[in-house]
Amino acid sequence: MEFITQVVINGILFGSMYGVAAIGLSLIFGTMRIVFIAQGSVIVLFAYCCFWLFSLLGIDPYLSLIPIILVSLLLGAGFYYGLFKEAAALKDRIGSLLIAVGLMFFLENFMTVVWSPNPRAVVTSYGFVVFHLFGINLTLTRLIGLLLALLATVGVATFLRKTLIGTAVRATSEDVEASTLMGINPNRVNAVTFAIGIGLAALAGTTLATTYSFDPIYGFDFAIKALVALTLGGIGRVYGALLGGILLGLIELLGTYFVGAGWAQAIVFAVFLLALTFRPYGIFGGASEKV
Amino acid sequence: MANQLLEVKGIDVSYGDIHVLWDVSLQVEEGTIVALVGANGAGKTTLLKTISGLLRVRKGEILFSGENLHNFKPQEIVDRGVIHVPEGRRLFASLTVKENLRLGAYIPRTRPFFAESLERVFSLFPVLKNRKDQKAGTLSGGEQQMLAIGRAVMAHPKLVMLDEPSLGLSPILVKTIFELIRTLNEQKITILLVEQNVNQALKIAHQAYVMKTGKIVMCGRGCDLLADEEVRKAYIGERATKRKG
Repeated sequence: MEFITQVVINGILFGSMYGVAAIGLSLIFGTMRIVFIAQGSVIVLFAYCCFWLFSLLGIDPYLSLIPIILVSLLLGAGFYYGLFKEAAALKDRIGSLLIAVGLMFFLENFMTVVWSPNPRAVVTSYGFVVFHLFGINLTLTRLIGLLLALLATVGVATFLRKTLIGTAVRATSEDVEASTLMGINPNRVNAVTFAIGIGLAALAGTTLATTYSFDPIYGFDFAIKALVALTLGGIGRVYGALLGGILLGLIELLGTYFVGAGWAQAIVFAVFLLALTFRPYGIFGGASEKV
Repeated sequence: MANQLLEVKGIDVSYGDIHVLWDVSLQVEEGTIVALVGANGAGKTTLLKTISGLLRVRKGEILFSGENLHNFKPQEIVDRGVIHVPEGRRLFASLTVKENLRLGAYIPRTRPFFAESLERVFSLFPVLKNRKDQKAGTLSGGEQQMLAIGRAVMAHPKLVMLDEPSLGLSPILVKTIFELIRTLNEQKITILLVEQNVNQALKIAHQAYVMKTGKIVMCGRGCDLLADEEVRKAYIGERATKRKG
């Protein structure tokens, strides 16, 4: 029994990382209808940034979050203006998908050259701190990861609800032309959305670096999982995406525990297909309700 | 010569290879209501979209307060005070009434007056005040149209272009909406009105244009067109024949 509880806790902790990535995907898809498949590789890229700052300069990974997130916001806006602006304006979505795929392969190869294909991890002095509660082991860095995921989720949801530009982001994801008639510049909204999406990737990357080992090609798997989490949670729902991620983490780890690691992956994608077939708007309810 | 707020001069517009507007010219005098009528597919909506910068002009020019709007982005045109209320209202259904109104005052010029503008809209449409925290998608058709017009008022407009504001509304609501258009006009907002309800539109319009297959085919004072035999037959149809019979 305790062991199952442990698996459930680990599933939640791990899944929250998928959730953060899924929120980014959801926002980018919501406003621009871009399936940003490079999200996972961007996460791994930031994990490497965190790794470098730590191993070369001795900067604590949580402290490095500050420069990493600032850079990621700029990089996000840069991705939009540099790569996706023209493609996002087209009705045909294949162009933006191909750009995202290209970016993903570029990043994978770039990271392989710079950091070698060997797995890396950020090993801090407190990385081995484990709390024992009711016979369950709770790793400090994973708990911090969950906390950061929750903070980021609440932060993004509040931003979308309370700020004028956040309201504009929601309006644009509903009707681009109508929002243009309000005097909203769709490019600015898209750039802000992309910046937030990549900012969330930076956060997930830092969490990844402090809790697990990673290698350059891990990103694709991560992006696909984030896509599954997004589908489970429902596109356009911030809290839904986080819950979808956590649910996915649970399915994955419980599947691994009960039927084995190989089957767990098959189950994940079976759930993905079932969700798409029977609950295309997410399994947490309503058809068009957002945030 | 009267003070022309909007002057459309011989414009051609096309969607890709399909030519939609041919040499269209139209003038909207400041402080008036101008109606634009014509059958479906005549190009009325296309003309409004072109004025608001969603479509590009191929030939000719559009002047607003004497300024050429050529190559202006939609947000720059909104900033000049030209507000387009599109057909079907196009509210943000998942946003609240207040959030929709907030986006009406999105352009920086209008943001400082948000509270004042909100009061103005709520005094025009008291029902919206009661529903301000409700999602726009839950409003009735008439309330939605009021919100769409209210959203335009939030932008401190000089010219409001209304595309089929009475579409899908009950006769009583149609009357309300037309009264509202008149009220807005009395508040010094110039109106360019596209309507299928030709009878009503011509009644309140100072000036009117008739479009047919991408061209302006007739123009004149609203009351003159209303009396015109040809217009009655083509666009008011039934009602005219009934009266005769």
